[in-house]
Amino acid sequence: MATEVLPDELALRTARRQRAFAAMDEHGIDALVLGREANARYVAGAQRLWTAGTRPFGPGCVVVRSTGRIHLVSTWDEGIPEDIPHEQLFGITWNPGRLFAWLQSIEGLAEARRIGTDSLTPGFARAFPRLFPHAELVDAEPALEDARRIKASEELVAIKSALRVAESALAHTVATLRPGVSERTLAGVFMEAMARLGVTTPATQQVAWISSVPRPPSRQDWRVASADDLVSFDAGVVAGGYVGEVGRTWPVRRQAVDAGTEGLFQRADELWARLVDACRPGAACEGLLDAYRAVGQELPSFPVASGLGLGFDAPVVAASLPRTAATTVLEPGMVLAVTAFVTDQRHRAVLRKDAVLVTDGAAEVLTTAPRWPDDHVP
Amino acid sequence: MQRDRRIRLAAAMAEHAVDALVLLGNSNVAYATGARWPLSDPGRANIERPVAVVVAEDDDPHLFTTFPELGLLDLGLPEDHVHGPLYLDFDEGARDLARFLAELLPPGARVAIDELPGAVRRHCASCFADGGPASADDVVGSAKLVKTPDELGFLRRALAITEQAIAPTQAALVPGMRQNELTASFLRAAFDLGADANVLDPIWQVMPDRLADGPWTTHGDIACPLLTTERVLERGDVLWVDTGISYAGFASDFGRTWIVGASPTPRQEAQFRAWREIVDAVLEVTRAGATAADLTRAARDAASGERQPWMAHFYLAHGLGIDSAEPPFIGTDLGDAYDERQVLAAGTVLVLEPLVWEDGIGGYRAEEVVVVTEEGTISLTDYPYDPYGH
Repeated sequence: MATEVLPDELALRTARRQRAFAAMDEHGIDALVLGREANARYVAGAQRLWTAGTRPFGPGCVVVRSTGRIHLVSTWDEGIPEDIPHEQLFGITWNPGRLFAWLQSIEGLAEARRIGTDSLTPGFARAFPRLFPHAELVDAEPALEDARRIKASEELVAIKSALRVAESALAHTVATLRPGVSERTLAGVFMEAMARLGVTTPATQQVAWISSVPRPPSRQDWRVASADDLVSFDAGVVAGGYVGEVGRTWPVRRQAVDAGTEGLFQRADELWARLVDACRPGAACEGLLDAYRAVGQELPSFPVASGLGLGFDAPVVAASLPRTAATTVLEPGMVLAVTAFVTDQRHRAVLRKDAVLVTDGAAEVLTTAPRWPDDHVP
Repeated sequence: MQRDRRIRLAAAMAEHAVDALVLLGNSNVAYATGARWPLSDPGRANIERPVAVVVAEDDDPHLFTTFPELGLLDLGLPEDHVHGPLYLDFDEGARDLARFLAELLPPGARVAIDELPGAVRRHCASCFADGGPASADDVVGSAKLVKTPDELGFLRRALAITEQAIAPTQAALVPGMRQNELTASFLRAAFDLGADANVLDPIWQVMPDRLADGPWTTHGDIACPLLTTERVLERGDVLWVDTGISYAGFASDFGRTWIVGASPTPRQEAQFRAWREIVDAVLEVTRAGATAADLTRAARDAASGERQPWMAHFYLAHGLGIDSAEPPFIGTDLGDAYDERQVLAAGTVLVLEPLVWEDGIGGYRAEEVVVVTEEGTISLTDYPYDPYGH
């Protein structure tokens, strides 16, 4: 983070826009009307306010292929790259009529034959055909996924930088782990460390859970760690728009861990090695699901792998998407957050989540965070 | 609380002639099911999101989640109403939803949904009536407009956590501190006090004295909120503070003006008094049955000068509760005629956020959270206005 609000760097913006325009050409899309902030950030390179959770769809960024211009909803020019001049900014509005008039005034949009959106609401689904009667309204997500899933070298730099912040904040959090500390306090320690490192936006706010199968904390079960517990950390930050996530499990009392617990960590490592091995170019994503079967671990209901970039990217590999996993092929340049998650009869869990870059050869693990028992206590 | 919401939702569904709701938006799912989870980055939240299906004749909602045990243990939902996750950005997930709805609903059922990802449009068209689905946001929006006493209790707690976390943060503010260090202090304290999640990147905006010294804007008016950086705060900097957290599915909102390491000048103090007069004038007319236009008129009349006493790109007031900004929105660019038609109901929670600006001197802005009653309003917060108001 800097001392002023800056747009993404030129090289990063250029690399992403080239990919986005190429994907538009490939998919025959003449214009994009984007509501998802990750897509808008990808093409525009502008910083806008971060909020947590899903947002309702609304046009926030427009890309016109014929003019090559990017238009943004922003009332001010702070954080907006200079290649998006003032004429291409439109102030925040609550008035659909004004929004529609703006869209219709954008040069080249009315002439577009195929307009892609990254989602819709029922209201916009009805409004767009009236606003652009000559255009076919198409789903732009496949095109955007094509662009986003292979990372430019500038993006890898951004992801690694986000990972370093997540790892550093995690190390600080693990250092405070002791009997009596609550999940809630561990989350607060992580947030504080992250913000002190200059990043004020988390990717996930679960952060820590104690002992058993992960579940979102509620007031009743923000639990307190005891000496024999295992604490799993799912630590993620959003830095420069990019998500850096790392997952680790630490025993509360690092000395005198019983053989059963050691065995659980060993199973997690074995699963993890199989998962990383499955991240080969040309391999189907179902290899990641098979890795769980090979070690006899039931698949978790959350994704075992998902693309890292501006938020979640394709592919998303999950137990409930088996056909998707069978037909999606890994390619060099994808970055995946790969999760090994093992449980035992006592409902104890060990989590190991790393960022993995698919290359032409063996996968490259981008995460460097220490883990128990191989590394020293941070 | 969920029983009360169920009744409100059923009434709203009847009013909108809807047989079933399919909810993808985090806050709509939280409202309809009572499910509670720490909100993640929107990029991740789009994919890994719980989904709810509410059927008019069924007392319990269906919940699709990556944490099925949550629904069983915490929400008391019947086992056959709790399902594994639906990934609705994917064809496979959207097909699963279409199959589920086809089994659950009679042919011709009128379905409302709050978002239509491409895969849902491709595979669920047969689930919706001709002309497409109705807007579930409209249905949930009208249900949540009025808060029940239980809901107000949770909201008060969310607001109290926020203010208790702000207090040590404000106390630590000294010249030389960085903006992001204020965020660090606030987030640490908020989580210690029981917050489930941070809901927006907290704002500690250093305000210029003159608009010309701030960024260019589309409307020539104030640019706000501007993002937090590692900027070092200097003595005398005027900060516009805006933040909020979520707790048990409720969102808080907090806004004040602070001065770094200094007391307000007489001119600054006068701005605070002028702001207070605007708030008092608005509260004077705020009650069940008043229109939104009554509030904007009161604010304009109380403000000296030509300037509209709130941000041109926002509003004089917004609703609060499930989202950190939710209907009603009062004083937007929808205009006076729209506000004349918005009638306030008892139980609606409002955040009043007028401001005072004098170009060359700067301005004062703070937020006042109240619940509308038949007789007037009840304040939900009591955080001091320091260093102003002495």
